[in-house]
Amino acid sequence: MSNPSTGASSKSKVSSSQPSETSFKRKRGVFQKDLQHMMYGFGDDPNPLPETVALVEDIVVEYVTDMAHKAQDIGSKRGKLSVEDFLYLIRKDLPKLNRCTELLSMQEELKQARKAFEVDEEKLGTLE
Amino acid sequence: MDQQQPPPPTPNAPPPSSAVDPPPQPQPQPQIQQQTTPTPPSSTSSTAIPNPNPNPIPKPLPSAIPPPKQPPQPKPALPSHQPRSAAAFSRPWQQHSAQFTHFSSSSPSASSSPSPSLSSQPRGSIALGVPSSHSGPSPPSPSPPQSTPFTGSFGHSFGGTSSSNVSQARPMMRGIGMGSSVGSSSQMRPGGISAQHQQRPLQSSLRPTSSPTSQSPSTQNFQGHGLMRVSAVGSSSSTPSTLQTPQSPNQPWLSSGAQGKPPLPPPWHRPQLRAHIPQQHHSLQTVSQQQHVSSPQVPPQNISSIQQQEHFEQQFSQSRASQSLPHQQQDSRSQGSANQKPSSLAMVQPSTVQVTQNKAAITESDDSGGRILSKRSIHDIVNQIDPSEKLDPEVEDILVDIAEDFVDSITTFGCSLAKHRKSDTLEAKDILLHLERNWNLTLPGFSGDEIKTYKKPITNEVHKERLAVIKKSILAREAANAKHIIGQTAVNTKGNVGKAAANIWVLQMLKYEKYHEALFFF
Repeated sequence: MSNPSTGASSKSKVSSSQPSETSFKRKRGVFQKDLQHMMYGFGDDPNPLPETVALVEDIVVEYVTDMAHKAQDIGSKRGKLSVEDFLYLIRKDLPKLNRCTELLSMQEELKQARKAFEVDEEKLGTLE
Repeated sequence: MDQQQPPPPTPNAPPPSSAVDPPPQPQPQPQIQQQTTPTPPSSTSSTAIPNPNPNPIPKPLPSAIPPPKQPPQPKPALPSHQPRSAAAFSRPWQQHSAQFTHFSSSSPSASSSPSPSLSSQPRGSIALGVPSSHSGPSPPSPSPPQSTPFTGSFGHSFGGTSSSNVSQARPMMRGIGMGSSVGSSSQMRPGGISAQHQQRPLQSSLRPTSSPTSQSPSTQNFQGHGLMRVSAVGSSSSTPSTLQTPQSPNQPWLSSGAQGKPPLPPPWHRPQLRAHIPQQHHSLQTVSQQQHVSSPQVPPQNISSIQQQEHFEQQFSQSRASQSLPHQQQDSRSQGSANQKPSSLAMVQPSTVQVTQNKAAITESDDSGGRILSKRSIHDIVNQIDPSEKLDPEVEDILVDIAEDFVDSITTFGCSLAKHRKSDTLEAKDILLHLERNWNLTLPGFSGDEIKTYKKPITNEVHKERLAVIKKSILAREAANAKHIIGQTAVNTKGNVGKAAANIWVLQMLKYEKYHEALFFF
């Protein structure tokens, strides 16, 4: 799964672009399947109630939307929206912040690994 | 439920003689059985009457004539549906064999060996349940005499169960709840009892009155007695008042009961049907259910316990939201909240039938004119925080006042927002907007399908110009510093490189600096 901050930013971008089309459409059940598994992981029934899942999804979407709007407010002063804006918003929530930085560093590591992998492939290709 | 009841009783036609043995046994069992569902009923069914009691509950209670040889028909019906209630019922039946004719042998024998643990409370509850819920296999003989003694026995039997619920004069189908509450009344809180009952709201709904909460047996007995009698009589009168017809008594009673509180059955149906809700959650469901049935004290308690956990305004917004939002949870919540806020609801033009029904139920149950909350709800909230916590009465009064003021202010502002929207209906979005803007409270689950559009921060042109000027001045200062440094380095390099080279190098540095300046702006 993508990093939470980048994922959030992409999701927020999507949600913010929706209003330009219509302000009444909001897809329901976007996170339904994933949320069910997550809720089970946190102790709920393996098949939670659809109303519960809908409520949790509402909470999630509201949180992401609110975060995206605040990040946009901050980013607009600098000019562009960036990952730093999101990290700034969750600075007070240490577990989230640490998890975000960890995922971002993981993403960097994976990028490096992919780059090295491709370079190796090229080397092998040239050798052959 | 009713349908199921008649068939099970028929197969259980064990000899009534065996009833003597079972009655003593079921007495202790019911207490345990209340918590263990199907097992006790099955065990008792074979033994006797106690199990069937819950089934027959829906039917009008038999007269004082104890039918010694009443087949334990109701037994099987009960276990399938109301294992707990069966357990509870078994005890009272034993005590009041005379009252429950079709509870057959067990009842007469039970009367002889009544469980000492059972107080008058259980009796009352059971008596209520039996008459309404009895499905029909009972013999016709007890029916006419039963009806009369039934009413008489109500006074005794209703003891604790009737309690506040009955006082509402709405002997809604809480028969099962009564049964379970009877057993557990002494042990459990009314809320807990109601929770248990809530599990089978649909089934028990047919039971007349059988208020699950039995708090003060003596006082409540009396109140419940009078109320139950009225309700029972009314229900029984509507029905054949005989244990014979399994469904007709239930249906007429249900219809009569439903008239009083129409929203009760349908709204509960869904939440109750969610089988996998654990008992723990039953209290939540029971809250929504009891809102309608139980007295104002009980519902506000339950409702507040659940809803107040989240927010006060949720109750209010729920009632609003129920109009526009189809979510079942919201509906159940709104029902609960609606009950609590009849005055505020009156202002809203209900768009859904449930809301109107809730209003009717609320107004009926609202004894204190104008009071939205009761101290019971405050007690429930405090119990959620700390069961051993005690509040002074003045503190409770103040809290109730604060809550009511809050609801008033929210409603008023919400209405003014609705008016601003050029609408004559107060909707959830009005309340949500007010809470979000002025109280910084977000209520998830009520916003509907609207997407929150992002509003770019409104910046004045003057402010933008000022910011640009500041930036330029900063850049100029930095450029000056850089030039100074460059000049110094150029001077140093001049000695080494040469004048021409140094000049070229300085020019390049200046260009680079300008390039940086240009970049800085972006």
